[in-house]
Amino acid sequence: MIVYRPTDGDAHTVPIATRCRTCFLMTQLGEPIPDGLQGIRDRVEAVFVAEGFDVIDADSITTGRDFLHKIWEIIASVPVGIAIVPEGAKPTTLANIFYEVGLMQALGKETLVVKAPKATVPSDFVRTEYVVANAWLEKKLKAFAVSLHEREMHYGHVGSLVENNPLLALDYFRRAYLLSGDATWREQAAAVLEASDLSERATDSVEMILASFTRETN
Amino acid sequence: MASKKKDIVQVKNPRSGHYVKIDRTEGRILAHKKSAGPYANIPVARKRKAS
Repeated sequence: MIVYRPTDGDAHTVPIATRCRTCFLMTQLGEPIPDGLQGIRDRVEAVFVAEGFDVIDADSITTGRDFLHKIWEIIASVPVGIAIVPEGAKPTTLANIFYEVGLMQALGKETLVVKAPKATVPSDFVRTEYVVANAWLEKKLKAFAVSLHEREMHYGHVGSLVENNPLLALDYFRRAYLLSGDATWREQAAAVLEASDLSERATDSVEMILASFTRETN
Repeated sequence: MASKKKDIVQVKNPRSGHYVKIDRTEGRILAHKKSAGPYANIPVARKRKAS
């Protein structure tokens, strides 16, 4: 898969290290924090940490580079994104959150929107899974986290079924690998790579960048 | 002229709940079923995770 950098529109030709089993929180980080946001955030983090995920946001990582590029690179490296939409958020904040949700969906990531009871979700996202931050939030979040295992197995399964199309297979194995960090998916992807002609390609080729996760070590 | 036999299977996408038809010979995702239930006369591929 060719990924284009939002900052200059050029294809990205450097491998992006994976952050397996990591959940990227998309929400307002700057002051003033809307009422109730920290509480929702704490509840989301508690569930995902209990399910064995690392939880990060845009402030968790310092690169010294462009902020948008950093967010884009984080999104490309993780399997899951959770957007938290607080009540009374500024339009500019909502625009940022949903830009990131759209970016995650375009890159094949799992997304979930958690919204405050009175917050509204833009119409383009009506098909995006969302949960309301009410008394059942923990239960719904846990169900979503558990469903990610099913998705992992599905992606790995599809990867094995499309092995005659190595690029597609590698991408599906990568998605499965990101969700669990299970080296089995990496090994299956490496086997597909080995059996194809792709392993002879240049290290900065689209194919080898996609396959770079097969060379990672736990 | 004899045509090459295609190996076509289907799997259920857990996210949508709908079945997806896959051509294993070409390694292509062929179609996504819009309605509930599996495609007729297409085998459902079993999950198998290498260990």
